[in-house]
Amino acid sequence: MTNPLDLAGRTVLVTGASSGIGRETACLISQLGAHVILVGRNLERLAETLRLLEGDGHRAEPFDLSSTDEIPRWLKSVSASCGIFNGLVHCAGLHKLRPLRVLNSQMIEDLMRIDVQAAIGLAKAFCQKSVGAPGGSLIFLSSVAGLTGQAGVAAYSASKGAIIALTRSLAVELAGERIRVNCVAPGVVTTEMGRGLIGMLTPEQAAALEATHLLGLGCARDVAYAIAFLLADTARWITGTVLVVDGGYTAH
Amino acid sequence: MERNDCLLLFDELLELDPGTLKGSEVLDSLDGWDSLGVISFMALADENFGINLQPRQIAGCTTVAELIGLLDGRIRQQAHA
Repeated sequence: MTNPLDLAGRTVLVTGASSGIGRETACLISQLGAHVILVGRNLERLAETLRLLEGDGHRAEPFDLSSTDEIPRWLKSVSASCGIFNGLVHCAGLHKLRPLRVLNSQMIEDLMRIDVQAAIGLAKAFCQKSVGAPGGSLIFLSSVAGLTGQAGVAAYSASKGAIIALTRSLAVELAGERIRVNCVAPGVVTTEMGRGLIGMLTPEQAAALEATHLLGLGCARDVAYAIAFLLADTARWITGTVLVVDGGYTAH
Repeated sequence: MERNDCLLLFDELLELDPGTLKGSEVLDSLDGWDSLGVISFMALADENFGINLQPRQIAGCTTVAELIGLLDGRIRQQAHA
C-alpha cells in the first residue's frame, strides 16, 4: 500500500533541530524515509537528535542563523556535499514573554533576525542553482500569535505575522520555479520553549491558557505531522497557505 | 547592581519618575502592578540578574522591598564581583 506521506529519497534541511518542534520534525520525517540535515548552533544537542533518527543519510550541520548574510554561501557548501534539497523547514526561533514596558530594540532585533531575516536568507539560499530541487517545499513556523492578539507578546506576534506575509509573497514569487512555500501556525505546545512560557504564568493563568486550547495543549508531534504533510506530495497543490495547528485556539 | 538601581528599574517598569519608589510601598497599591507587571518583573530579573523567578515567589511578596529582596543574593554577588 502506498503511503501518501512517503519521503523516501528526499533530502530535507531542518533548522532548530536541537529541540522542540524542530527535533520532533526531524524524527518524524526520518521515519517517513527522508534524509535529514539537522541545523542548530550546538553540535552536541544536534548529535542527540541525530541519534534519535531512523534510517541513514542524516547529518548535523552546526550553524548560527543569526549570520543571515552568510546563509546562502553556507547552504551552497552544505548542498555540495550532501546533495540537492527537496525541502527546508525553518523551526529555529525565539519566544519570550515581554510586555511592551520592558520591550527594547535589541530584543526585537534578535527576534526578527532569527525568525524573519533567517527565513528570507534560507529561501534565498534554497533558490540557488544546485541547492533546492524544483518541486521543493519551504516551510516556515508562524504561530497563532501571528493571527490573534495576545498581551505580552507584541514583538513575537509581529515576527510571526511577518512570517505569514512572507510566506504568501514568496509563494507567488517562487511558483515559477515550482517551489511551494507554506507555514504552520501552532498554538502552545509542551516543548521546552512552551514550558518556559507557561512557567511565567500563575496556575490560574496557565489553566486559562490551556482551556482556550479546546483540545488541550499540543505536543511537538502534532505540529510535526502538519509539517510532514506540507513536505510530502500530499501538499503538491498547496502553496502560500497557513496551516493552523492549535487545538482549536483560534476557533473562538 | 545595587539595591537602589533595582528600585530605579522598578520605577521604570511601573513608568514612575526615577527615585519615586523607596521600598516600603505595598505592591497592590501601585498603579501598573498587574499581571503584566508581574511578567515584566520576571523578565527584568532574568535579563539583568539571570534569575528565573516563579510567579508564586512574587505572589508571596507584599512590598517593593520584599520583591527586590528576591534579587538580593544576586545583587550581593555582583557587588563583590
